[in-house]
Amino acid sequence: MTGIAYARDHEVVQRLRPEPMTEAEAAAQAHIDPVEFDIFKHKMHMIALEGKETTMKLGASTAMRWGDVAFGVFTRQGDLSVCATGIYHHAVLGQLPLKYAVKHWVDEPSVGVRDGDSFFYNDPFYGGVHNADMGLAVPVFYKGELMCFIAAAVHTGEAGGTEPGGTCNTAKTKYDEGLLVPPIKIGENYQLREDILNMLAAMTRDPRTMILDIKARLAAARIAQRRVLEVIEEKGPEFFIGGLRRILTQTGEAAKRRVAELNDGIYRQPRFLDTVGTESGLTKINLTMIKQGDRIIMDFENTSPLVEGRPINSFFQGILGLSCVYYCGWLFHDLPANNGLLEAIDWRFPDDAMVNAKGDASTSLAPLVQTCFTQGIFLTGARMTYSYDSSRAVAAWFSGFAIPTFGGINQFGEGIADITPEINATGCGARPDMDGVEAAGAFFATMSDCSDVEATESDRPFLYTFRNLFNNSYGHGKQRGGCGVGFGLMVHDTNRFMLGSMGGGSRFPTTLGLFGGYAVPPVFVQTVHDSNLKTLMADGETPLPHDLSGVFAPNNPEIGSKQAMDVSMVVQPFNDGDTYYVGVGGGGGYGDPLEREPASVLGDLRNGRVSHWAAANIYKIAYDTETMRFDAEGTDALRKAARAERLARAKPYGDFVKDWSKLSPPEDALRYYGSWPNPRDGMQPIVQLRAA
Amino acid sequence: MSKVRITEYLDIDLPTETWRCNRCGHDLGTAHGNYKEGCVVAEQPLEKVHPPLVAEGNYSFTPDSTYCRLVEFYCPGCATMLENEYLPPGHPITHEIELDIAALKRRHGAAA
Repeated sequence: MTGIAYARDHEVVQRLRPEPMTEAEAAAQAHIDPVEFDIFKHKMHMIALEGKETTMKLGASTAMRWGDVAFGVFTRQGDLSVCATGIYHHAVLGQLPLKYAVKHWVDEPSVGVRDGDSFFYNDPFYGGVHNADMGLAVPVFYKGELMCFIAAAVHTGEAGGTEPGGTCNTAKTKYDEGLLVPPIKIGENYQLREDILNMLAAMTRDPRTMILDIKARLAAARIAQRRVLEVIEEKGPEFFIGGLRRILTQTGEAAKRRVAELNDGIYRQPRFLDTVGTESGLTKINLTMIKQGDRIIMDFENTSPLVEGRPINSFFQGILGLSCVYYCGWLFHDLPANNGLLEAIDWRFPDDAMVNAKGDASTSLAPLVQTCFTQGIFLTGARMTYSYDSSRAVAAWFSGFAIPTFGGINQFGEGIADITPEINATGCGARPDMDGVEAAGAFFATMSDCSDVEATESDRPFLYTFRNLFNNSYGHGKQRGGCGVGFGLMVHDTNRFMLGSMGGGSRFPTTLGLFGGYAVPPVFVQTVHDSNLKTLMADGETPLPHDLSGVFAPNNPEIGSKQAMDVSMVVQPFNDGDTYYVGVGGGGGYGDPLEREPASVLGDLRNGRVSHWAAANIYKIAYDTETMRFDAEGTDALRKAARAERLARAKPYGDFVKDWSKLSPPEDALRYYGSWPNPRDGMQPIVQLRAA
Repeated sequence: MSKVRITEYLDIDLPTETWRCNRCGHDLGTAHGNYKEGCVVAEQPLEKVHPPLVAEGNYSFTPDSTYCRLVEFYCPGCATMLENEYLPPGHPITHEIELDIAALKRRHGAAA
């Protein structure tokens, strides 16, 4: 035994930053030519990119096929040196399972780490996000010596929990979440162990997808292994080991230089969630970013306490992972995505907070907690970076998920469970110089796609009644957020099917605007059981809703048992012909809407991207609604009047706060919040600081 | 150039160490404090920004006012909306930017 305690390893998850440089790595540095090093970096990145693409092409699950993939090359100590992904949280979390394997299995005689082995893992305590994110790693040996690891982390959309589709609104403890596998050997001598595969298949609702995804990861890793061995053969093992380390070192140094260029100060953003899974309730994630010199400290004091018996918690490492979605994508967008970036970042998590889960607490909805936090870092980041480079100061992309989760028997009589891919079609946040891009993707999955509907319909028992841009899905502003996508699903050819939804923001918007831009409106699910829509479609006589606005229009001919549901919706039975409508949101707005160029509003009106209501009431544009002729003087008058109305209605800050502070949410909304308004008032101020 | 641009709508005047509206130059108070204290403030009814679209039911496209309110901060000089906040009713207003003014002045070579 090598220190295994048959429990989660709290020491190894603290090792998010690169391990100390080894003697061999240090010795290699003097012999690495800078030009050869640049060629090496490029070659390694191409190997990782090929691995990512191969994984996607071979995979079966929705997320794997459409790009929720991270593929990387790790040092032999487990640090992620080279990574190809748009799922940037994996760029700093992917190394934890490898560090676990190095710590526990290399010298463990009953396991070992040998040429031809492969390891599987999905416990989010090590991966950091949720157990639907599953990974596979292989060690690479050259002439008997361990050189590196290669691994693929991918979202496989079913993990065997209390609900299908990888997230469980009903989870009360981790034991409701399904598979929670710490790094385990699933293959040796270049063969997968069929008994282990059989066990994993038996514990999930969609065994075919589970096994195909595992084999896709392994196949891609083996191709990358061949490429890496070619590089080692050409450059030599000393260069290879030293080169991987130099990538990490240079990344950390560059990150610190970038941070040093930002204004020193304290940047704050409280964030609020409106669901705990099965019920509504407010919780708070309180982000304070302290920027000093070449370091950023992220502090979470006065965040709501751990939510006992509900899945709305996250491990601290998952929060750090999602911080790197912002760091890799925006602040350090031109640096390699690897855990060397954390050389510029420090963190403080209260011991008993919902962002620092411990024990048996469920973290099944951790992705929602983490994206809620990420909204905060977009806002604090924008305030921190505008002065340095205004193009970095962007409003946030949609963060409420609104992902349909499903499981059951499909139209071919096969068991399936997964999610649909529209989360990869949210709108960008607005930027200082342009509107957000419509249906651009997911901010945490920037290299992903939402599939075409026919591909989803081919093996899921759905008929899309429509899927297109929704003009009430983004935040207004001087620059508006990009549109999100509304869609309708009709279940067909099965009466053994369950549908639910994972997300937040039905009461409190998840996605805020920036510098006076407005938030993304709430999202919710509309269901219609015993719908007449299939009959109407067969008749072909009646105009049917072709977008989300039409679903809520008074003349919608669809009748049945209609219900508006929270976007955090526990799965429920759906039969042939039942329908389900939801929208993934757009981006937050940027700047005061009264400063929006009238020509931009008119352009949006012409292509349906903005409603006449918003043109008149938000943007204060005067125009002929029939001919679209613009009235410049009328617009000027409307906007002057709107500004005068603001000043007439507003109060001096002190007077406003005097009245405002008398308000509070109802007690029922605060039962998971902690003390109002500062959740930790009266609690012991225990702060866990990362070791210096 | 005595002013430094901090956000879309906020400058800091280094000699006087004050927040200024970028659009009209209005003095929003000491740069060591919260610029919002120099603003005029109003709660904006949610349905005026996020119309419901749905006639009835528990959910619409308007946030739930028992959970969320919209507070807007305007420049007293030009009425530009410098920022807004979506907050639970009564939640303290956020002091979102607290800059190290001495460090800012050093960065820009201004006299301390």
